[in-house]
Amino acid sequence: MSQEKFWVLLSKKLTGEASGEELEELQTLVAENPEWQYAIQNLGDLWKQQAPEDTMQAEDAYLLHLHRMTEMNIPFGDSFPELPRITGKKKTRKWYWAAAAAVVAIIITTAFLGVGKVFSKSSEKPSAKQENEISTRKGSKSEIKLPDGSVVWLNGGSKLTYTKEYGQQTREVTLTGEGYFDVVKMSDKPFIIHTTNINIKVLGTAFNVKAYPEDQQTETSLIRGSIEVTIKNRPKDKIILSPNEKLLVYNVQAKNNSEYSPQKEIAEKAPMVAIRQLTYQDNDSIAVETSWTSNKLSFKNELFADVAKKMERWYNVNFEFENKSKENLLMYGTFTSETLQEALEALVFSFGFRYRMENSKVIIY
Amino acid sequence: MPDNDHIRRLLSAIALQNDQRAYKELFLLLYKPLKQFAYSILKSGEEAEELVSDVFIRIWQKKDKLTTIESPLFYFYTTAKNLAITRLNKQKRKVNLSPEDWLVQMNSVYDPEQLMMTEEMLRQIKNAINELPPRCRLVFKLIKEDGLRYKQTAELLQLSVKTVEAQMAIALRRIAKCMHFDLKPALQQHPAIKNN
Repeated sequence: MSQEKFWVLLSKKLTGEASGEELEELQTLVAENPEWQYAIQNLGDLWKQQAPEDTMQAEDAYLLHLHRMTEMNIPFGDSFPELPRITGKKKTRKWYWAAAAAVVAIIITTAFLGVGKVFSKSSEKPSAKQENEISTRKGSKSEIKLPDGSVVWLNGGSKLTYTKEYGQQTREVTLTGEGYFDVVKMSDKPFIIHTTNINIKVLGTAFNVKAYPEDQQTETSLIRGSIEVTIKNRPKDKIILSPNEKLLVYNVQAKNNSEYSPQKEIAEKAPMVAIRQLTYQDNDSIAVETSWTSNKLSFKNELFADVAKKMERWYNVNFEFENKSKENLLMYGTFTSETLQEALEALVFSFGFRYRMENSKVIIY
Repeated sequence: MPDNDHIRRLLSAIALQNDQRAYKELFLLLYKPLKQFAYSILKSGEEAEELVSDVFIRIWQKKDKLTTIESPLFYFYTTAKNLAITRLNKQKRKVNLSPEDWLVQMNSVYDPEQLMMTEEMLRQIKNAINELPPRCRLVFKLIKEDGLRYKQTAELLQLSVKTVEAQMAIALRRIAKCMHFDLKPALQQHPAIKNN
């Protein structure tokens, strides 16, 4: 009796392939060698364990599969009841199928126009479509993988929504706040992001969008690829961005108080729309605009007022400027693991101001 | 592990009642193992995914004939294999045509809490499985994880049943070795060996 025979018989037993004779043979072998019992026991346990079920990927693949069938005009769906057999009239039947396919195509298109409307009016009436909504609190970040494999990093205090039909015909999302997008290329399905002031259309690329409603401007920074931006109140103008450029769009409806504010001054002096190069810190290859995705709070030559907004989202606190002149301090710096206290101390040391804490409020004076 | 009776029930629901839910369930059930198998041949995730979709398009188009399939699981793997080889030929890719080169990914995750083994042992077992020669690994995966029979695996990979038996024995022995179970002393005491 060879050792190999033992393993052959044992594997046959585990897989249910062994005959009665072979089982007996194995039993005799083991009776003579009780030490083998240990391997039999453990292998038997191991055999019973199944891989954990993970249907997420399969669900996504199923959507793509249905989409492929639609593209290939293969009838599938409730609108296709089993047809009565028309024997000897194959042509008629084929025509019937083609007509039915056309009807479905039209229904689907209309449905998606509907979604478009819902998107643009989402603030006025709640959407009738089922939507996925992911939001982050201030001080936290989140990574979202969309059904097509595109990845969105959501910064603190932001919200991303997309419909259940995402990826079937179009890829559209709505963003409030800041997100970094890494979009999977699909030439037949452009990826569209709606924000309050602009729409961004892309084919496949990586970029950052900062569209907090309370901010004076919407900022789109392109890392690679190319994107097309349209501004909501100027639908005819299309702006194409190249890598390492960012587009600034000053929000029209930003509050218009007559009080002096440096941001307002900038807004008035600056054009409504501007293209700038991305900013890099010395000795850092990651642009300041996207540094938050690598867990860095980074700024270079920014007004304290803007830095304060970044810090509010980063540390989940509120800033108040008792001394308005401090809003105009130009600052640069990078924080990673610093606590709020440490960050503030460092800024005080470099740029000179005073602060006090009241609950979760930082008061600058 | 997908089993033939369950698949047969789903197939007949699709064939007789045009049941879309059964169709979806079947897709979810077989997507991962079929994609892994297709990937071992095509070496492209995108193409493997498309191939699984092609297999299921066939299923939908040939609804009426589904109830006549004798062993469904085997049918799925054969269809996947044939479509994959056709693809390779169309692209004039001369590589990977032989089952010997089909390096498949394993997905067993073993939970030490349910086994009387240490984590270190399980790590070694995982390594041992990953280091099996390609053909041995594919045989082991198709039988242990995907639920194919010896005979079907042999036919699918153009091997003899004896070869499949031997490959399974090799895999099992290598895994058992990680359980720190030494067979040598046992063999030395064995009368058959002593007589040699």
